[in-house]
Amino acid sequence: MTGEQPSPILSVEGLTKDYPGVRAVDDVSFAVERCTVHCLVGENGAGKSTLVKMLTGALQPTSGTMRVDGSAYQPTNPHQAREGGIATLFQELHVVDQLSVHENLTLGMERARFGFLVESDLDRRVVETLAMIEPSIDPSARVSSLSVAQKQIVEIARSASSGASIIIMDEPTAALSEREVERLFGVIRRLRDSDVTVIYISHKLDEIFELGDAVTVLRDGKHIATKPLPEVAGRSELIEMMIGRSVFQDYVPRATVGDEAVLSATGLNNHLLKDVSFHINRGEIVGFYGLVGAGKTEIARALFGADQCSGEIRFKGRKIGGSPKQAIASGIALVPEERRTQGLFTTLTIRENISVMNLRRLSDAGIFRSADERSAAVDYVRKLSIATDSIEKHTEKLSGGNQQKVVFAKCLFADADLLLLDEPTRGVDVGAKTEIYEIIRNLANKGTSVAVFSSELEEVLGICDRIFLLFSGALEAEIANGPDVDMAHILNVVTGGGGSVAP
Amino acid sequence: MSHTPAYAQSRPAGGPVARFLRSYYIYLVLVAVVVVLSAANLDRFDLFERGNFLNQNNIINILRISAPLLTLVGAFTLLMVSGYIDLSVGSAASLSAVVYALFAIHGLPFPVAFALTLVVGAGLGAINGILVVRLGITPVIATLITLSLYKGIALLLVEDGVSAIKSGGGLSMPDWFNSYGRIGVMLGLPAAFWVAVGVTLVLVVAQNRTLLGKYAAATGGNPTAARLSGINTGRIVFLLYVIVGMTAALAGIARSSFMSLGDPLSGDGMELSAILAVLIGGTAFAGGEGRVLRSFIGALIIMALTVGMLILVPAYFQTLLIGLALLAAAASNHLISRKEVVS
Repeated sequence: MTGEQPSPILSVEGLTKDYPGVRAVDDVSFAVERCTVHCLVGENGAGKSTLVKMLTGALQPTSGTMRVDGSAYQPTNPHQAREGGIATLFQELHVVDQLSVHENLTLGMERARFGFLVESDLDRRVVETLAMIEPSIDPSARVSSLSVAQKQIVEIARSASSGASIIIMDEPTAALSEREVERLFGVIRRLRDSDVTVIYISHKLDEIFELGDAVTVLRDGKHIATKPLPEVAGRSELIEMMIGRSVFQDYVPRATVGDEAVLSATGLNNHLLKDVSFHINRGEIVGFYGLVGAGKTEIARALFGADQCSGEIRFKGRKIGGSPKQAIASGIALVPEERRTQGLFTTLTIRENISVMNLRRLSDAGIFRSADERSAAVDYVRKLSIATDSIEKHTEKLSGGNQQKVVFAKCLFADADLLLLDEPTRGVDVGAKTEIYEIIRNLANKGTSVAVFSSELEEVLGICDRIFLLFSGALEAEIANGPDVDMAHILNVVTGGGGSVAP
Repeated sequence: MSHTPAYAQSRPAGGPVARFLRSYYIYLVLVAVVVVLSAANLDRFDLFERGNFLNQNNIINILRISAPLLTLVGAFTLLMVSGYIDLSVGSAASLSAVVYALFAIHGLPFPVAFALTLVVGAGLGAINGILVVRLGITPVIATLITLSLYKGIALLLVEDGVSAIKSGGGLSMPDWFNSYGRIGVMLGLPAAFWVAVGVTLVLVVAQNRTLLGKYAAATGGNPTAARLSGINTGRIVFLLYVIVGMTAALAGIARSSFMSLGDPLSGDGMELSAILAVLIGGTAFAGGEGRVLRSFIGALIIMALTVGMLILVPAYFQTLLIGLALLAAAASNHLISRKEVVS
C-alpha cells in the first residue's frame, strides 16, 4: 500500500518507552502521510502523551526509531524538534501578551545587524502565512487584545512560518467555543493544503471524523491500528478499538446506600454548565465522568460555592452555594484537583494540615489545645495509614498518595457530610489508589456522601454507585453502576454521541 | 491587495479623548505639576531665584539636580520590563561616586577616571546579574544584599574621621572635578544632563529597534514563551543588569561632581526614586510593559515635585506631600491603564 504513495513524512518504528515498573509505550510503529491531518486517539493512559513527548524531544525513547522525511530524527529537546521540522501547539498558550502579533510571530527568529532589528524576508513570510491561514487577525494588534482562539492561531502561524513540516496539536479545542472550533478547523485545512502535516490529538470523536484523513489508535501503550478515516466504520468501530477489552470491574453494589437525598441541584447554569440538575443520596458515591472541559470541575466548584452560578443548590434542606465558607460550615468539603497548590499547605506539617479547616474545634475561647491537635493527627495518620515516621513531617516531603490522604484527613476532621473529590487519584501510584478507594468506600458505608469527579473511566466504574455522564457542560445521561454497564455507550455519550444513541 | 482586511475597519477601544489621555497622560501630569508650582509663590529658598518657578535659573537648577536620576531611569525601565529589579542602584551610585572621587583626587585625568568608574559600575551590575541569573537568587533579595554590600564598601573606602572623599590632608580635588555636573556647556546645562539625555535616547532606540528591547519585553511578558522561542533569557537579564550598573556609575559620577566630593551616602534612596519614576511612567511592576521615555518624564515629575516642595512648604510637610502627590499620579495612571485592559 505504501508503495503507491509518496514516502511518509513521519515514520515511527518499534518505539518503546519504559518507566520504572510501567511500559508506557510498547513497540509502536506507524507512518504519517504527507499533507494529511493525522489523528491520534486513545483513552487516558493509552500512551498518547508519552508518544507526543518523544516526538517533541521532551522524552527520549527506550528503544525504537523515528524518521522525519526519510532522515533519522532523535531530538533531545523541543528546540531540536523544531529544527527537525516538528512544532507543537501546547495546551497552555506560549505567546507574549505585551508584544504585537507580528513581534510574536518573529520572536526568536529575528534578523539583526549589530543588535539592530532589520527587515527580512521572514517578516514578509510571517505576514503572508498569517494572512493565508486567518486573514482577520491584524499583524500589528497587541496579542493581549486577542481571544484565546486567535492567540492559538498566532502560535500555529508561528510554527508554520518557522518552516515546520509537522505541527502537533494536543487537544487544541479544549478551551474554544463552537464557532472558534470551526475557525480553527478552517485554519488546519488551509495548513494541510499548504504542505503542512498536522498530528491532531483529541478525545472528541466528532472532530476526528470531521477533520481527520487518517487515525492511529493506541491502547495500553500499544499500537492498535492506523487507518484512513474513510475506512473506519463510524464511531462504534473507533470506540471498540479504543476499549478493546472489558475494563477491570471491581464494583460491588453496596447495601448501605440510602434513598434520602442529602443534596439536590436544580438548573445550574454558568459560562460552561447547561441546565445541570441532579441529586445525591446519603451514603452514596456518585461519579461525574467526562472529558477535559466537560464541566466536572465547574460542578464541583459550584457545589462548593467557589464559583457563582444560577440555579438552586440545597444541602440537607438548606439553600447553599454562596461561598466556600458557607459550604464548609454546612458540612461540604472539597478535595481539589491541584492538590499541591490548592489542597495542601506544603510548608506545614501533617499535624498542622489536618487541623487547619477546623481549628475552632480545637480551641476553647480562643485558647488552642495542642495536645488534642496532636492526638487527632495521630488518629488520622493511623486510620488512613498515612506512611510517615512522624506527624511533624512537612507534607511536601510525602508521596502523592500520602499527600492526598492528608487532604482527606483534613476534610474528615472538618466533619464533612459530603466530600467532593476532584480527580482524587491523579498522580497517585497504584497501591495508594487502591487504599484511597477503600477509604472512600468506608466513608460512604458510615453515611458520608461522596461525589467523585474523574476523567478516568476505570475509577468511576470501580467505586461509584451512580454515574453522571457529562459532555460540553451538559449532563447527558445518568446510569446505575453494575456488572452489565455498557462501556461503549458511556464512551459514545462523553465523546459527544448524545445520550440516547445506541452504539 | 485590493480589498481591505476586516481588521482595518476596527478601531482601538474608547473615544478620541480617552485615547489621547492614555497616550499623553504622563506629559499632562508633568505640565500640571509645573503649572501648579509656577502659580505658587516662591520666596523661601536662596538657591533658587525669588519669584516664578518657571524661571530660567530655576529650570537649570532642577535639571542639574535631576541629572543622576535621569541617567538611571532608562536602563532601570528596561530591567523592570524584563520582569527584574535592582534595589542596589543607589548603593552602586554611592560606591561609584566615592571611587570616582578617589581616582580624581589621586591625580588621574578626567577621561581615565570616568572610564574606570564606568568599568566599576559594569562590574557591580555583573555581580547582581550573577547572583540573580546564575545562582537563581530572587532579584529583590539578591539586590538587597548588594545594596548593603556596595554601601559598606563605599563607607570603608572613606578614611576614618571624614564623611566623604574631599580636598584636605595634602590632597586636593582637581579643578575639573565639578565642571561635569555644574558648568553649563549647552543651553546653560552641564555635561551630566546631556549625558542623561544621550543615554535616554540610546535606550529609546534600543527599546524600539534592537533585539535587546524586544527580548526584554518578551522575557518579562511570558518567560516560558521566550525560552521556547529559543531566546537566552538569562543572557538578556544579565546584560540588562550590567547596563543598569553602568548607568548607576554615571549617576554616581554626576552626583559627586555636582557636590564636589565623593560621599558614600550620596546615592541613598535613589532606588526608591527610580522605582517611583518608572512606575509613574506606566511600567508594569510585573514586567512586560513600559517605555524608557515615559520613565524619563516620570523622573522629571518627581524631581520637580521634590524641588517645588523644598521651596514651598515647611520641611516637616515635604515628605508627606510628595508621597500624596505620587500616590495621586500612580493611582490615576493605574486607573487609566486598567481601563485599557477592560475595554
